[in-house]
Amino acid sequence: MDKMKTGLTASQLSLWAGHKMHPGVPLLNTAYTFELSGKLHISHFRKAFQKLIDATDAFRMLYFEEDGIPYQTLGKLENFEMEVIDFSAESDQTGIINYLRKRSQQRIEIEKRIFDTALLRVSEEHYIWFLNMHHLVTDVVSFKIIFARMGGYYRDFENNTAFESLDVPSYLDYIRATLAEQEDQKEEANSYWRDKIDNLSQTPALYGTKTGADTTASTRVSVPLGPDRSTKLRAIANIPEVRSWTEHLSLFNILISLLHVYLYRVSGQKELAVGAPSHNRTTRKFQEVVGYLIEIFPLAIRIKEGDTFFSVLQRIKLEANDYIRYAQQAGITPEISGSFNVVLNYIPTGFSDFSGIETKVRWIHPDHMDSSHQLRCHVVDFDAKGEIVLLFDLNHASFNKTLRKRAPQHFLQLMDAMLDDMHKEIDRPSLIGEEERKALLVNPAPKFTTESVLRGFEEIVTFHGPSVALRSGDRTMDYETLNKKANQLANYMQDSGVRSGEKLGLYFFRGENYVVSVLASLKLGATFVPIPSDLPITRMDYILKNSDCSLLLTESALKAKTSDLDILTVDVDTLKEDIAKAPVTYQEWEEDRDSIAYTLYTSGSTGMPKGVMIPMGALNNYLSWARNYYANGEAFNFPFFTSIGFDLTITSLFLPLITGGELVIYRESGHGPDLSLMQVLDDNKVNAIKLTPSHLSFIGSRDLSSSKIRTVIVGGEDFKTGTAGSIFASLGGKAVIYNEYGPTEATVGCVVCAYDKSRHNGTSVPIGKPIDNMKVYVLDAYKNLVPVQVTGELYLSGPGLSAGYANMEQLTKEKFVDNPFLPGTKMYYTGDLVRWNGEGDLEYLGRIDEQVKLSGFRIELADIEANLSNHPDIDTAAVVVMKEKQIIPESEIINCSECGLPSNYPNADFDEGGICHLCNAFKGYKEKTDKYFKTEEQLRKLLTSKKGVNESYDCLSLLSGGKDSTYILAKLVNMGLRVLAFTLDNGYISDQAKTNINKIVKKLGVDHMYGETPHMNKIFVDSLHRHQNVCNGCFKTIYTLSTKVALDKNIPFVVTGLSRGQFFETRLTEELFWDETISNAGIDRTILEARKLYHQEEDAVKQLLDVSMFHDESTFTKVQFVDFYRYSDVSLGEMLHFLKENVDWVRPTDTGRSTNCLINQLGIYVHKKEKGYSNYSFPYSWDVRLGHKTREETLEEINEYIDETEVKRIMKEIGYEEMDRQGEGRKRLVGYYTGKVRLSSMDLNRYLSEKIPQFMIPSVFKHLEELPLTGNGKVNKAVLRSLNEVQLEMDTPFVAPGNEIEELLEGIWKEVMGLSKIGVYDNFIALGGHSLAAIRVTTRINDELGMNFPLNKIFELPTISDYAKFIEETLEALMQ
Amino acid sequence: MKDKIINYIKSEISNDPLQDIGPEDDLLGSGIIDSLGMMKLVLFIEKECHMKINNEDMTVENFMTVQNILNFLGKDQG
Repeated sequence: MDKMKTGLTASQLSLWAGHKMHPGVPLLNTAYTFELSGKLHISHFRKAFQKLIDATDAFRMLYFEEDGIPYQTLGKLENFEMEVIDFSAESDQTGIINYLRKRSQQRIEIEKRIFDTALLRVSEEHYIWFLNMHHLVTDVVSFKIIFARMGGYYRDFENNTAFESLDVPSYLDYIRATLAEQEDQKEEANSYWRDKIDNLSQTPALYGTKTGADTTASTRVSVPLGPDRSTKLRAIANIPEVRSWTEHLSLFNILISLLHVYLYRVSGQKELAVGAPSHNRTTRKFQEVVGYLIEIFPLAIRIKEGDTFFSVLQRIKLEANDYIRYAQQAGITPEISGSFNVVLNYIPTGFSDFSGIETKVRWIHPDHMDSSHQLRCHVVDFDAKGEIVLLFDLNHASFNKTLRKRAPQHFLQLMDAMLDDMHKEIDRPSLIGEEERKALLVNPAPKFTTESVLRGFEEIVTFHGPSVALRSGDRTMDYETLNKKANQLANYMQDSGVRSGEKLGLYFFRGENYVVSVLASLKLGATFVPIPSDLPITRMDYILKNSDCSLLLTESALKAKTSDLDILTVDVDTLKEDIAKAPVTYQEWEEDRDSIAYTLYTSGSTGMPKGVMIPMGALNNYLSWARNYYANGEAFNFPFFTSIGFDLTITSLFLPLITGGELVIYRESGHGPDLSLMQVLDDNKVNAIKLTPSHLSFIGSRDLSSSKIRTVIVGGEDFKTGTAGSIFASLGGKAVIYNEYGPTEATVGCVVCAYDKSRHNGTSVPIGKPIDNMKVYVLDAYKNLVPVQVTGELYLSGPGLSAGYANMEQLTKEKFVDNPFLPGTKMYYTGDLVRWNGEGDLEYLGRIDEQVKLSGFRIELADIEANLSNHPDIDTAAVVVMKEKQIIPESEIINCSECGLPSNYPNADFDEGGICHLCNAFKGYKEKTDKYFKTEEQLRKLLTSKKGVNESYDCLSLLSGGKDSTYILAKLVNMGLRVLAFTLDNGYISDQAKTNINKIVKKLGVDHMYGETPHMNKIFVDSLHRHQNVCNGCFKTIYTLSTKVALDKNIPFVVTGLSRGQFFETRLTEELFWDETISNAGIDRTILEARKLYHQEEDAVKQLLDVSMFHDESTFTKVQFVDFYRYSDVSLGEMLHFLKENVDWVRPTDTGRSTNCLINQLGIYVHKKEKGYSNYSFPYSWDVRLGHKTREETLEEINEYIDETEVKRIMKEIGYEEMDRQGEGRKRLVGYYTGKVRLSSMDLNRYLSEKIPQFMIPSVFKHLEELPLTGNGKVNKAVLRSLNEVQLEMDTPFVAPGNEIEELLEGIWKEVMGLSKIGVYDNFIALGGHSLAAIRVTTRINDELGMNFPLNKIFELPTISDYAKFIEETLEALMQ
Repeated sequence: MKDKIINYIKSEISNDPLQDIGPEDDLLGSGIIDSLGMMKLVLFIEKECHMKINNEDMTVENFMTVQNILNFLGKDQG
């Protein structure tokens, strides 16, 4: 077929892509119905339509593909018979509506006919014209044109008058013009959009839903605004400060402002963009074209603090002018189209009547939309009545059924608030209406009444008296005895004058004394105040005073520490006999639900802790629920292994005692880390445990398959699903794991979720639903309820609430506020951010303030800062939490689809095809690297060039016994060279490898020698600390020893067995190939220079081995290093074949791996643990890139099994102490301070340990000249958090770059070293700079400045400041 | 400048090429030009006058009629 074909415009292409991507889906149908209320001559109508398609080429466009490229062409459509369907027999409209709905969803076959149409006859005077066109040939304005044109032709037939001109503008002309425009570079507009998009963050997650799914299913919700709102909107549009050029533009500005505000409110994101179609009909020529002319460009603004509707509108107004200016024909790109997921389609078009017949226009939604759009809001007034209608197209990926009903309501709430008061803050109005409010406030009725914990305990005593209640090592105490002891102590204290309501400090180790004292205190109706054994005395003194304790109970082991306290102290050990004389039964008592059971102290923001007072009723409510929910009739054996000052411990302490189980006591050691958890697991005496996620990550991958634990209650911190999954697996899937949420102020736990492996696959396990009798409210900053799925602040209410803070009325008032939803009650403001997810569970999303949780302990950073600032030599202080590098679980790592580089390699960046940045960059300079490699013939020439220099040997060949070095040796011998083979015996060469070596050298007839050093183990340890592997240390030892041998024996060459991949690990960098003109000789010079620097690096090899020869420059000319594989391009197959034929080499089997070195796997183990990936990942990726290995081979080798027992054994052998690291990015506190002098960490530690608990003391302190500040004068904690470990440990204060050259250097350093922040006084070497990094940095500097600075400059001038000065001086000298 | 602007509107932007446009005719309110068309005019003026018109100055007051535009341009140049 001879077709005049034309390509598609950029905007057509994006439609085309959607059309292809979703076959069978009527995604791009644009169907309209025109309801004509009047008599119609069908024959005239049919004729008019034929005229319409004759005149309008858009109707005749057809689409086809050739070699995968889409084209459009003009088809013929003569004698088109308009279908007329008679519905006049139908009694109501339902049949018609259903028919139209179905018909509008028929996918248009764009190869055959681009539209579908029919005329429905409803009655003699009532017709519906249905017209469905593919989006490729139409837009809204086009429909207006079509309708008017059709009406004109019809009228002409009716009146039998002369026809309107058929000479209407052609779509094809427009397309051709656009294609030509696309060729034109509109530099200004392009760069405007590029900048705009670069500055945008990701598209907002509407209602917290991150969409990954490619969903087109959508629902249209029509929201007529009605006359009142429409009038008000127009009134606002005409206020002078609001008014833009036209009323349409003003209304557009108002509505798109509202949409921004809405997006902000339902996503929390402040950086927002909304797409808006530009009609593109600015030239008269194209004003009347029927076709797809619109292009969608974004309007973006940033929501600011304190914004009002008016202030947002003001910014939109200016932004809109830019939008109009740059939204030019043929301007869109895929990047622009991908920069928004919400569209506002303001349609100024109203439809006219149809040749005098009144018409109602409807746009039928095909129930599908572009999957990249989550929300479209069309603003229409089709019938031109002045009443605006909003059509919301809601993508099902973001809007579930409930949300589809509620979301438009949320938008209207905001609109009404704006119409009411334009100057209202946008945060203020409630998003939800009355109906939703009612739905949110429905709370289940209390399930059962609470029971007294003491009654529960006494019941157990009655029925299970002889059963073991407490177990501590080999000692046990039965229930009866425990109860008697508690009664005796209670009686004793009562006799001593203690009355109900009194406060008793309990200062004990975890042990029987503490349990007995707690029970006695409850029986007395007194309040117990737990004081953990490791609390600093000053803090303890404060607590005793603040809580009004009248008595301190303690035991002999702690008594001495209390001597300075001004309080009556009772040592229950010393008074044991006296107490034992008291009666064993205690009087009948009445429980007062409002009396305070205990007061627990947590970190406060003032520098002093605050005492949370928990009433008896609150404790009863939690424990009754917990017994019912967790135990459900079972006897729980819990370990008592966490601090008594931690409210999580309440669960462990009481649950066994009210279920008839055992409380297994693990007393803390007086000093050092608490290792009780390991003891608990080893003992295997408990069936339930309560702990924190941090505890769980300590357990790590321990095998717990024989553990008796069946119930795990996790609390205190955000609980990651990764951690949940691994503990679930460790316990063999036999335990139920609960995530229990609750601040101390609401008694231990008040929201709970049972972990479900199959359902919980987000980052964190949800915190779930409120426990019995408790109520939760998710509110915005103005205490409005927020919609389901929207993030808000959590408030708690119910009988579990604390009675407030001891002697802190002001703070109590601030945190326990009136509950507007249940007048007369209080609710507690947690400061936690949460949302109700779509499944009806609460999700924890972080803190609103600076409170942090470390190992489950609540810490106010301000508490530490206040204490630190009190130090006499400190002016100001700031404390931040730093997360250590997060180790990504192996299951989440992907490997480059070409080279296998893992995604957790530093700065790894993958494109859409899964190809890494290194592969992509390499494609750009591969050709240049080809020149670096040479042939075997060149090698032979080189090595024979100095024949005769040495009588015995032409070269020394490094032989590890592996296949690569064996191959080299054989080849060298084959070349007729006299070779001395050299092997470093690092102490870990496998026996079989040694046998191999001996066999090989014998077979090849070469001399062989072993090199060794007594310092090998120290070198390994140093290498592990420095490089997290053993190979670097080993290599350097080999180079050092072999150089010495060659020098001594006067051998001119040392041949190495480095693989081509290893060249890129140790010698070559991308930067070396940047210079177009650089020669091999130039590269070799740089590499040699780097090698000289390499031998000057201060490490164990330099300190322990004889390296004197490297001080002599001539060494490097006397002994030349030659990389064999630079000259040989042998494949693995060829090599193995050669070895088999010529050398009889066998792969050692006694290492259990592909290597012949036994310590190798220790290096890999450490590297993987510390950095997350194998140290072979990088060089192997290069081997693949250079075609020396396949991706599969490298992945197989990298993922080889590591024998951990063997690794641990070797660690011990060489004296390497493993760093204690946890799985998921451990957090630590870092304290920054300013002051005249730098203080030692030890002093600061000692100073703070007298004031605050150990877990609150920063692990690192850093002196700064001044604290960095944000724009509004607050301490800039983001900067403080971005320093890395080494930078923290450096003695130099952090100073940011101060001039252009320093900034340039900082930029280069950051990129090469992979750091986010570098101070100008930071030391290059200390930051991990080595010779290879020196090549990279120096080459980049030279490239930027057009200079030729030598490599060693960076070691001479190792700070940005010094180097920048040097550059400046050089440049100045050049200019003179 | 006046004629240049009027000619440009008539030849490139307005809906009806035959319609006569006077310096005091309301371009925006009467629908002769919509906002995209007005921006086209702005770009034209910018090119002709070698200047850039700020977003803040794109008001009804400055652009309602050809005369307004001329006044605005005069003010700006003065």
